[in-house]
Formats: sequence, structure tokens, C-alpha cells
Amino acid sequence: MARLTRRSFVTGTSALALGSGILPMPGILRRARAQDGPVKIGCLFSSSGTMANIEGRLNDVVKMAAAELNAAGGVLGREVEVMVSDPASDWPLYAQIGRQMLQQEGVASLFGCWTSVSRKSVLPVVEQNNGLLFYPLHFEGDENSENVVYLNSPPASSVLPAVDYLMSDDGVAAKRFFMLGSDYVWPRTINKQLKGYFESLGFDSSSWREEYVPFGFSNFQSLVQEIRRFADEPGGQPVVILTVVGSSIPDFFREFANQGIMATDIPVLGLDALEADFEGLNTEELVGHLNCWAYLQAVDAPENETFMKNWADYVGANNVPYPPNVVIDPMVSAYDGVKFWAMAAEKAGSFDVPEVRSAFGGLSFSDPSGYNISMTSENNYVSRGVFIGSLNYDSAFDILWQSEGTPKPVPFSEFG
Amino acid sequence: MFSRLTPLLRGLLGLMAVLTPLVCGEAAAQGAGAAEVPLDRAAIAAGLCTDAGDTLDRAADALGDASDDDLAFLRRITDALMGRNLVCGETVAIKSGGGTVDALTGAPADASGKTPVLNLRNRASAENLGAALTLLTPSSASDRDRALRVLARRPQGVSAAALARAAEAALDDASRAAIEELAVVASLASEDVSERIAAVEALARTPNRRNLGRLEALKGEPAYEGDTAFRDAVDAAIGEASTWVRIADALSVLFSGLSYASILFIAAVGLAIVFGLMGVINLAHGEFIMIGAYVTFMVQEVLRALAPALVDWYLILAIPFTFLVTAAIGVAIELLVVRHLYRRPLMTLLATWAVSLFLVNIVRVTFGTQNLAFATPSYISGGFTLIGDFIVTQNRLFAIVFALVVLAATWLILKKTPFGLNVRAVTQNREMASAIGIATRRVDMLAFGLGSGLAGLAGLALAPIYNVNPLMGTNFIIESFMVVVLGGVGSLAGTLIAALGIGQINVLIEPIWGAVAAKVIVLLLIIAFIQRRPEGLFAAPGRRK
Repeated sequence: MARLTRRSFVTGTSALALGSGILPMPGILRRARAQDGPVKIGCLFSSSGTMANIEGRLNDVVKMAAAELNAAGGVLGREVEVMVSDPASDWPLYAQIGRQMLQQEGVASLFGCWTSVSRKSVLPVVEQNNGLLFYPLHFEGDENSENVVYLNSPPASSVLPAVDYLMSDDGVAAKRFFMLGSDYVWPRTINKQLKGYFESLGFDSSSWREEYVPFGFSNFQSLVQEIRRFADEPGGQPVVILTVVGSSIPDFFREFANQGIMATDIPVLGLDALEADFEGLNTEELVGHLNCWAYLQAVDAPENETFMKNWADYVGANNVPYPPNVVIDPMVSAYDGVKFWAMAAEKAGSFDVPEVRSAFGGLSFSDPSGYNISMTSENNYVSRGVFIGSLNYDSAFDILWQSEGTPKPVPFSEFG
Repeated sequence: MFSRLTPLLRGLLGLMAVLTPLVCGEAAAQGAGAAEVPLDRAAIAAGLCTDAGDTLDRAADALGDASDDDLAFLRRITDALMGRNLVCGETVAIKSGGGTVDALTGAPADASGKTPVLNLRNRASAENLGAALTLLTPSSASDRDRALRVLARRPQGVSAAALARAAEAALDDASRAAIEELAVVASLASEDVSERIAAVEALARTPNRRNLGRLEALKGEPAYEGDTAFRDAVDAAIGEASTWVRIADALSVLFSGLSYASILFIAAVGLAIVFGLMGVINLAHGEFIMIGAYVTFMVQEVLRALAPALVDWYLILAIPFTFLVTAAIGVAIELLVVRHLYRRPLMTLLATWAVSLFLVNIVRVTFGTQNLAFATPSYISGGFTLIGDFIVTQNRLFAIVFALVVLAATWLILKKTPFGLNVRAVTQNREMASAIGIATRRVDMLAFGLGSGLAGLAGLALAPIYNVNPLMGTNFIIESFMVVVLGGVGSLAGTLIAALGIGQINVLIEPIWGAVAAKVIVLLLIIAFIQRRPEGLFAAPGRRK
């Protein structure tokens, strides 16, 4: 609440000013959707604000994917041009820039958003303009728009398997759950569904507790004390289900380790925790904490080796300010998105959204996660595999469990 | 604990693997234990690759009467398993140093194969076994301390025989007592009532919520109803433990409040000087904090390159550099930007905000947006349990001590130096100070430098607690202004008391209504207070209008 000040407003507007410096001025635009020039795609990823550290690198992944397409002759014979912006972790700005890209720049599709609140802001814009948004994050589900391609998994195929694992004997036979999240739609919906799921399994409402913190919150001292207090109550093995986002993730883990809690005492399932969140953190005291994604860097697959090598080469060649050796799920998902879009456009023989959309059904390829991922014609969800990762000494995640195949995504949750 | 073993040590362990059978074989054969059963090492090595959980339990059971040589083998292979250095190929091998050696023979081996990943349940068993082995085999004092802490969490995870053996092998009386205490606690479920009473008393000696829970669980047992001595012991223990738990809880709330207050104070004190003296609303204050953290980082990197032995002390060694660099940047900005806007104070808001955007982007372009990797010196990592569940985390303790030092230094400068006298004079009445010959512009410049330097020091103190990235400053600017406005512009005592108040209230509200509500309530309280007293807690006497 303290952050809703004049300053953050002014920061936002100025970032827009900076952003419009990156975008060409509307007045000197080529005619939108020229038939012979390059085809434009737009990126909506923040490289400033609380999401900057992790979200920013997706801009470069999309550029890398476009460069690969161009090296192979472009899409439908046309070069792909990527437009980058900086919505500055300011949710309304995503919608504003998205509208500008669709209406003034005539981009063929948008790739963007990390937090669900930013996606919810862009949603009406892509629907009104009949645009196409490729969204690379796993999220709370309960949404099905024909203008959004959900590249990652809804909770039924990512969060629930991870929670099931925690409740199994191979996990820790978890009986009690401390749900800690940032205060917005994704954590609240995930936790609502989890509570419904726990109830359906016969858990009593005293076996969970919910806490929310503001965006960018960093002072986790008393919350970690609350977690210790919760853990010391009788009733069985406690776990933390962490849905804080952005810079709060490393702050939380640092305090967690500082208070001497180990993963074998109270494991944390970090639903938004990625390799990149542990850069600069001493993970020795944090080994064993869990996350779940549709891709982990430790995947042993030739597609993954190629992708990691390409990213390292791209970072080296273009002086990208991100580490060359860290690849995270949303990067792979964004890359998958560009690939799906190109495949669909080639199949449809057109860049027009209705045609591209009708070409989605049946598309599939082996992505860096090693699974053969696919789309159906029923909805714009992608079937992905699921991994549960265990944090190791090198700030990376080892694969503890992975799904047999690619579960069919269920957009709407039956639990709440 | 095992990853602390440097590659060199791992190499030595590998060497030991080769030499111990030759050197110690005979000695071990004559060793103390009468009923020594040779360990089936091949089965254990193979078992860790296929069924880690059972194998670890089996190994833990064997601890009581395994030979020293077997213990060393067990420790080697458990370390390797936990550090993901165990290779399960044709043979079971251990990665050590640059090469790979056979786990059984120590001969160079094939490095191809899978490295098993421990799941959480097996990791707990491995931690227990590793800790017990650390106590049973030669290890450093810090490793033994850590091992004791691990065992204290799950004392039932290790057999009584193993604990007795560890107590026998303990190097000093303190650790022997600690191990014996663990053994006593482990015998809580014993048949013998006197042993159980001893265990109950031992639990009461380390009063925390977990032990209190264990004690309260005893109330439901038949022995509690049947045996008066046992019941009295349990009741007394519960009474004693719950008192200490309550005291510890109160202390940890106080400590959290104090540590948060110290962070607020160091973040705000520089702003209080600048705002108080010149009425400059310095929106770049947060960026000075950020730059302070970056300077600290650079000092660490320079030390790492030039004097690796001193890296652990970079936080202390960086103090003068951080202060001077940020003060110099502050002076430069005062000369270039702020100086020209004194007649239009609101303009300084826009100008310093532009400066803040400029600084953020300069740092972003130079360093990138990722969090910086700070080495965590031993004196600020982890924490220690004072009583009950009251854990004093050392990075917070460092922040508190640092805040006290900054407070003392600032107070000395403002109250005991001629410069401080000038600053106070200018703060109270600029015209009058100017009339009696104080070079007010020079005082402004130096005071701006002092404020910026203090902000830089805040960055240094916050580096071990928060993430350091180009945007960290924005997190502190609002809180700093809250403290300064509430405290009364330009008052050191006001800044201190406002920081203490906001910190403590935040910590008190958070567990009750949540972190979001705490922020809102604190803000509302400040607004309400400012309504009553616009000049804040302590007003500088000369400036009231």
C-alpha cells in the first residue's frame, strides 16, 4: 500500500516515455501489415521494477527465437522483427503498450506478461483488437480466452501433482500447509484451489494458514517466525507453499535459512521459484527445497543441450546483460511460443489471427524439456510435462520427479 | 556442512580411501569395540544407488559397533551422496577433486553413470547419519557444532548405542554433555520410569515449543495418570518450559522490531540531515543506498582479486570507501543540480528524481539487473538460539550494531564538531547563520555529502540482508520519508524514535492482521499523527512557521 505513491506513478509514466523512445514514433511508421516488409511481433516483458531480474530476460529469448527463424528464411518468406518494450512492472502499462503495439505497430502477435495481474490487464486489449497473446508462465487457470495461448500449465497439471508429491511418502507425507503469497490474483486463486483440494481430501481447515504480503515485500523476519510457530504446533509434517513473486523470493529464502530452518524440517514448495532467483544467494542452507515447472535446467535431452548452447552463444554474441548459463522455464516457454506461432502461421499460410488460431490444432514438437509438447483445437492450452525440482548446492534444481507424459491441461479447476 | 569440505579436503579424503586400509587396517582390527561386525561395504554402496532410504537406516543402525575404518568409509560415501558426488555406474564411484575414484577401493574409476538425487525423506536420514558420523570421526569443531544442532532436531534418528559411542569419543566436556543430553532425550520413550523422568527434565532444560509439545503429549499417556513422580516431573517441566517459551516469544518480537527499526534508521538518517538542513526532498536517496551496496560489492571483488585472505572482512574494510564514494557522488550532485534549485524547493523533487532514474539506469547498463553475489562472512551468517525459540540472526544483529555506530558517529559529528555546529545553525535559521559569517553554501554542500555518505553506509549494512540490484533503492525511499516526516524534520532523536516506533508497531501488527494490513495501518497511524502534529515528533525549533 505504501508503494502506491506519486513516485511509483511518476516512475511508471516516465518508463512509458522511455519505452516510447525504444518504439519507433507513430508518425514515421511504415504502413501497418505491409505485405512485403518484415512481420512484426511484440514483447511485453518488464526490464525494470520488481519483476525486472527474471522477466527481463524473456525479451532476449524472443529475440533469439526470431533470429533462429530468420536464419532459416523467416516465416512465410518474411523476416521476423521483434519489438521490445519495458512496462516497468506497472500493470496498466502492459495494456497501454499492448494496445499501442496492436493498433499502431500492427504486430502479428504479442509475447508477454509474467504476473497474472499483468495478463489480466492485457486480456481486454487483445480481445477488443482480436490480437494474439502468447503467455509463457504457469498460472492459476480459470481463464480461457481464444486470444491468449497459454503456453505453460494450469494448476491441475503443475501445482496439484507437486502437492500430491509432498503429501506422498516419497515427499514428506505433508499434513499441514503454510501458504504464503504476494497479495494478488495468482496466489489468492492458487490458494483457494488448494484449500478446495485439501478439503476434498478430508483435511481440516486448521491444517492450513494463509498469509499475504505486498509486492516487493522484503522484511520476512516475523513471517518466518510465524512459520516456525505454525510448524511447532502438533498435527503432522508442515510445508510452506510459497507464491510470493519477484524480488520477494530470494528475500524470503535468505531469511528462512538465517533462522536455521532446513528443507528437511519444513520444506518450501516455491511455485514461482526459479534458478535465477537464487543467483547471488548461498544455497548451502537451502538444499532440498522444491519447485515445480514444465522445464528444469537439469533436463537430460538433446533439445535442452542445443537450447542452452544457443542461449549462451546468443548472450555472448549480443552482449545481453543476463547470465549465459542460467535457463529458466519461462524462457523455454517463451521460445516455445515463438515456435508455435511460426508453425501455425506457416500451416495457415497467413499471419491473420483467425487463420493462425485455427491452425493451432495438432501442432506439436519436442521442446527443450524433452517432452513432445502439443496443442489441441479445443482450447489454446499447450500440453506440457511436469517436473518437481530439488534445490542443490549450485543454485540449480535437480529433477526429483517427472510426469510420465504430457497431461492434458484442464483450464478450469474443480476445487474452488 | 559437507559442501564446506574444500576440493583439497575431498582430495585428501580420496587419498585416505587409498591409504586407510593399508595403514589403519591392523590398528582397526585391534580396535576398542568388542563386538565389531565388519560392514558389508559393497552392499551399502550398491544400496545407496538403488534404495537409499533403507540403506541409510541400515548404516545408521550399524554405527554403534562399526570399526573406525568402516565409519570413515561411511562418512565418505554419505558425504558424497549428499554433495551429489556419488556416481552410480558399473561400479559405485565418488567424484573427488578433479577425478573419480572407486568408492570401495579408492582406485581411479569410470566417471560415467547417474548421480542419485536425494528426496526429502532420505535427505533427513542422510543428514542424521552424516551428523552422527561427524561426531564419530575426526572433524573440525564447527562441523561438530553443526552436527549437534542437526541431531538436536531429530534426536530419535540415531541409535542410543551410536550416541553413547559419540559421547565417549567427544573431545571436550561441553560437547560430551551435549551429546549425553541428546541421548537422554532419545530415551523419553524408554520402559524405565527414572530414565523417562531424566528425559523429561532434560527436555525442560532446553525449553522450546517443540519440546513443550513433546512434554504435553506425555499428559495423554497412562504413566501420567499412574505414576505420581512422573506426573509431577512432567507438570513441573511443562510449567518451567512454557514460562521460558513465553519470554522467548516476547524477546523475539522485540528483537524483530529492533532490527527492523535499525534498518529504517540507517536508511533514513542521511535523508533526515539533507531534508532537515536544506528542505531538499531528495528522491535520489534510495539510489545512494543502492550505490553504497554496489561500492561494497566492488570492494569485495577487489579484495577477492588482490587479497583473498581478507575477503571475509570486506564489510568492515569497505566502510570508509563506501562512505567516501557516495559522499563524493552526493557532493557532485549538489554542485551540479541541487545548488541551483534552492530557491525552488519543489523543483529539487523533480531534479533529484531525474537523478535517481539516471543512477538506476547507469547501474543497470553497467552491472545488469541481476542480484549481486555477496560472500556471506561467517560473522553475519546464520544465527544462534538464545533461549527457547528466540533465534538471534547475525545479519540482523550486525544491522543493529551498525545502526548504533552510525547513530553515535552522526551524533558526535553534529554535536561535537565545528561543522556540526554550523549545520545546526544553518538548519535553525539560514539567514541569521549567513549574517554571522557561516558559509551556508559550503555547509549545504558538506551536509549533502554527509547525508549521501550515510545513505551509502546504509547500503553496506543492508547488503547482507536484502537483494542488491539496481532497483533496491526504491524499496527504501518511502520508508525513509515516513521515518523522517514522523520524526520531525532534521532531528536525529526524532529519526531514531520514529524508526523504533514504526519498526516495533509493524512487527506487532504483522502476525495479527498480516503484512499488507500492517503497512496500511502504519501509514494511517502516521497520517493521523501528522494531522495532530505537522512538525513531527521533534521539531527543529527554528523552522516552525
